[in-house]
Amino acid sequence: MKKILQYFLFFFLGSLYSANLESTFLVLNHFDKFLPNADSSLIENFSNSSFEFDSTFNILFEDIDNHENPASSYMNTIKELGAKHKVNFILCNQIKHVNDRFMLEGQLFNTRSGGLIYRRKIDLTNYINGQINELSMWVGNVTGSVNDEWQKNRESILFRGSEDIEYKKTPMGAAMRSLVAPGWGQVYSDKKVSAGVWAGTESTLSLAVLISFLKYDVAAKSYKSNLKLYNETDDEKEVAKYRASAENNWDDHVTFSALAIAFAGATGTGWVANSIHAWIVGPRAYKNLYQKWDPKSPNTTG
Amino acid sequence: MKCHRGQLIIILACLVVYSCTIFEKDFDNPVDFEANEEKGIGAPTLVFYPKSQTKTTSDSVVVGSFIVFKDDSSMEDFSGVHLQIIFPDSYLELDTIKPGLFITDTSNSMPLFTYTFDSVNTIDIYAYFLDTLKPDLLGTGHLADLVFNPTSTGSDSVSYHLNACEMIDHEDNVIVLKGDRGAEVIVQ
Repeated sequence: MKKILQYFLFFFLGSLYSANLESTFLVLNHFDKFLPNADSSLIENFSNSSFEFDSTFNILFEDIDNHENPASSYMNTIKELGAKHKVNFILCNQIKHVNDRFMLEGQLFNTRSGGLIYRRKIDLTNYINGQINELSMWVGNVTGSVNDEWQKNRESILFRGSEDIEYKKTPMGAAMRSLVAPGWGQVYSDKKVSAGVWAGTESTLSLAVLISFLKYDVAAKSYKSNLKLYNETDDEKEVAKYRASAENNWDDHVTFSALAIAFAGATGTGWVANSIHAWIVGPRAYKNLYQKWDPKSPNTTG
Repeated sequence: MKCHRGQLIIILACLVVYSCTIFEKDFDNPVDFEANEEKGIGAPTLVFYPKSQTKTTSDSVVVGSFIVFKDDSSMEDFSGVHLQIIFPDSYLELDTIKPGLFITDTSNSMPLFTYTFDSVNTIDIYAYFLDTLKPDLLGTGHLADLVFNPTSTGSDSVSYHLNACEMIDHEDNVIVLKGDRGAEVIVQ
């Protein structure tokens, strides 16, 4: 019961009679979470349907790609179901959600042979009532009763004319922001982790440059001061003392100068690299709404 | 705009690089035996301090005469010196010669200090250390101060005539002087 609640597994069993009265379909739906109005929408879209919830058909929703012969994996089960419900075809629909996307996999079986005759996988970004709309389109496509509204619904949301699409965020915008302040371009592109890494790295390097320069400055001033005192005395002990101090200051000012230049170089290089990185990970528009199905990547619970 | 950004980056880079200027290591105090050695002048050395000075005709020019020893055990003690100093009489005239503190004895009295002047440009100074507690001296020290009055403007050097200078210990053994350094005097 808990498992059913967690994944909201339900099977939607219905017999659909398409416009072609000779073809009858048994539709099995498997959703990994509750889709409100799924059943009522299908009743409304496809008349003469009846529903029966049955959890014994889990086997039909296993990944058939793991089978040696996917098309004939469930021949006997399909034949039995076809005889039991007196239908010509069985349509298995499965919807899985991964983050802000959902995957719809549809499989059409012929009950006379028991084989898989048609299969379709769709990977889409969520849109309003998208799962029901895509399910209706798929079932309508199979049963031959496509409603233009479904297509318009999809197109109105997913397929706007390119001339109407405004890309307010651009990779160049991200790069320019990162050139001004490291990490800003990554924040602009919603890459919070890399933004933090770049900002932290550049801040640390800049601090190192500043500290090195300040230490260089102190050492250089001390060197000049001790050199002046060295030149202005004719006392043997003072000459030796100021010379030793000035030599230490001279060594320090050389060391910190080299460090400041090295850190400045690293900061500058990192700054440019950060800008290039911001351009690379910068926001870009999706070119393909349909993506290749990867059976390993989605969470296949439910 | 891009051009300005590039210029800004270049300017910032130049600022960092040129702000971190490396100063020349310039130790050249005549009283410093290390500085003299770096110039190839060995110790003991006769030098003047300061090595260069610029005065006006109304000022007095004071040039200190020093003996510089190396700070190690290879040096020999000395008791007496003879210095022959040549100065540019074209714009300087000798005013006074003062003994330095180095060769005075422990009671701060003046054991032996005398000089001769040829009334032209050569001064001979004779000094001898006559302390009752120790016979010799070792180390860098002040032998004499020479005070000149400028007679006109000019630029030249006060120098030692090293071949005529001599340093001896209390047994009258000669100690070889390894070098000398003059002093530039500019009167404007």
